Amino acid sequence: MKTIEVKNLSKVYEYYKKQPGLWASVKGLFKREKLFTEAVKGINFSIEEGELVGFLGPNGAGKTTTLKMLSGILYPSSGEATVLGFTPHKRQKEYQKQFALVMGQKNQLWWDLPAMESFILNKEIYEVSDEDFKKNLDELVGLLDIKDILDVQVRKLSLGQRMKCELVAALLHKPKILFLDEPTIGLDVVAQKNIRDFIKKYNQEQKTTIILTSHYMDDIKELCKRVVIIDHGTIIYDGALDDLIKKYAPYKVLNITFNDKGVEKTQVEKYGIIQKYNQYAVSIEVNREEVKKVATAILSSDLPVDDIMIDEVDIDEVIRKIFKK
Amino acid sequence: MKKYWKIITNEFQRHLAYRANIVSYSFGHLFEIISQIVIWTVIFQGTSMIKGYTYPEMMTYVIIGWFILFATSNYGFEERIAKDIHQGTLSNMIVKPMSYVRYIIAVSMGRVVIALITVAVIETVLIFLLRNKIIINLDPATLLLMLFMLLVAFFIKLLFSILIGLIAFWIIEISGTYFSLNIFSKFMSGAYFPMNLLPAVFVNISLFFPFIYTFFIPLQLYLKKITLIEGLRGLGVELLWLFLLYLLIKLVWHFGLKKYEAAGV
Repeated sequence: MKTIEVKNLSKVYEYYKKQPGLWASVKGLFKREKLFTEAVKGINFSIEEGELVGFLGPNGAGKTTTLKMLSGILYPSSGEATVLGFTPHKRQKEYQKQFALVMGQKNQLWWDLPAMESFILNKEIYEVSDEDFKKNLDELVGLLDIKDILDVQVRKLSLGQRMKCELVAALLHKPKILFLDEPTIGLDVVAQKNIRDFIKKYNQEQKTTIILTSHYMDDIKELCKRVVIIDHGTIIYDGALDDLIKKYAPYKVLNITFNDKGVEKTQVEKYGIIQKYNQYAVSIEVNREEVKKVATAILSSDLPVDDIMIDEVDIDEVIRKIFKK
Repeated sequence: MKKYWKIITNEFQRHLAYRANIVSYSFGHLFEIISQIVIWTVIFQGTSMIKGYTYPEMMTYVIIGWFILFATSNYGFEERIAKDIHQGTLSNMIVKPMSYVRYIIAVSMGRVVIALITVAVIETVLIFLLRNKIIINLDPATLLLMLFMLLVAFFIKLLFSILIGLIAFWIIEISGTYFSLNIFSKFMSGAYFPMNLLPAVFVNISLFFPFIYTFFIPLQLYLKKITLIEGLRGLGVELLWLFLLYLLIKLVWHFGLKKYEAAGV
């Protein structure tokens, strides 16, 4: 059985439109125009145990809505989701004890108390035994290196330290599934990397199934072999990150530097699409199959080549192109 | 049950960190009682009896009433719930194997402890200072019954607050509703003045609301204006209301959550 199975899952939100102005507000008291947005439109996917999958998409693409349906906060408008054999929106205790949800923008820790108090509360809520609690806590605290801050009031912690504590709070009951919604949002690069390293290590050691949403490309690049790209509520790509580049960027880039007097634009145009040009450095897009041939042709031509490099297209570039469509 | 105990102690600790704030609150409350004492003392200079109340009875009503009011108060849980709903903090709660309503009840119990101690200290001082002006009733049966009535009163007021708070599922801004309902319930409980200063029809109407049983009735018991049996009947009505409010909360929670699940509010 798959850990997570999603079939034709849709979510429609209702909202009301209000024209600007006082008169329209008064009218709105009596009659409002009801509108619908389809945040998620019949998506399908399944996730195996132990996978670390990245959900990628611009703001409002439907990533968080999907996570909320999987964790049982929202019920689907149609279609179904099955997680560990449970239907999430029934919110059975047996299911709730087996997953955790961490939202980067909402904290679950008690603001005015040291994080330790929230940990103990979660221990009671998830009915973790004393031994397991101690063992898991030591392990997590060691991995995240936060021994010193456990007894400091949460509001005095930095955002990065707080996020670490949020993760500990969420993982104390050893969930089988972890939903991470923008866990690195607002963090500086060092803190982002710390969190990322931890997630990676934790996934490898514990075999926890993890779904991660982020709009930081670095998170996805470093953590996820598999990526699901969502835009306007539909999945536009589901597969290996490496294949994504091949699919959406059927070309590589030749970066060539020239010496002597350099080259004229007309001299290199025939080799492919010019991305960047100046006299001494040119970037050319060339189809994957032809890239070797073209490189050889350039090298054996009478152009004053100093150096030539064949580069893979930058993934950020690929994603940007996908979302622009 | 252990989890709710931990919530109670967490909230207690949290409030311990803000003890200065609680003392400040009590300071404000002190002025409320002083103004009541002044008004009634001035009024009674021209007469010895108002609608069946002697001066010592009225002073007792004010002083013991002050304690009852703050001992059964839950200090603004409506807004806390509204905030949880509107800011989406509720999402964090409902994904956990825990009941949100019970969570709120536990938090309120943890919160009230320090306030209760502060109020009790001030009340003791007040009773001592005004011991010659008020009626001291030390009948154990009366005090025990009162204690039970106040305990239930605390929960009635809490459940009422929760119920108002849950309106936030449908309304974006509840502070107006909650402000008016709080003044209405305070009025109907007799906390502004004894209900029998009003025409009998008002008293009869107020018997159909839960509030009078949280304040006026226990005080009547203390002042021996009603019998123990009548007091017991009051307790019975209180328990009935408690049950009714509980059912109402379940219902409102059920439909509110449906809306929350649908829209994410």
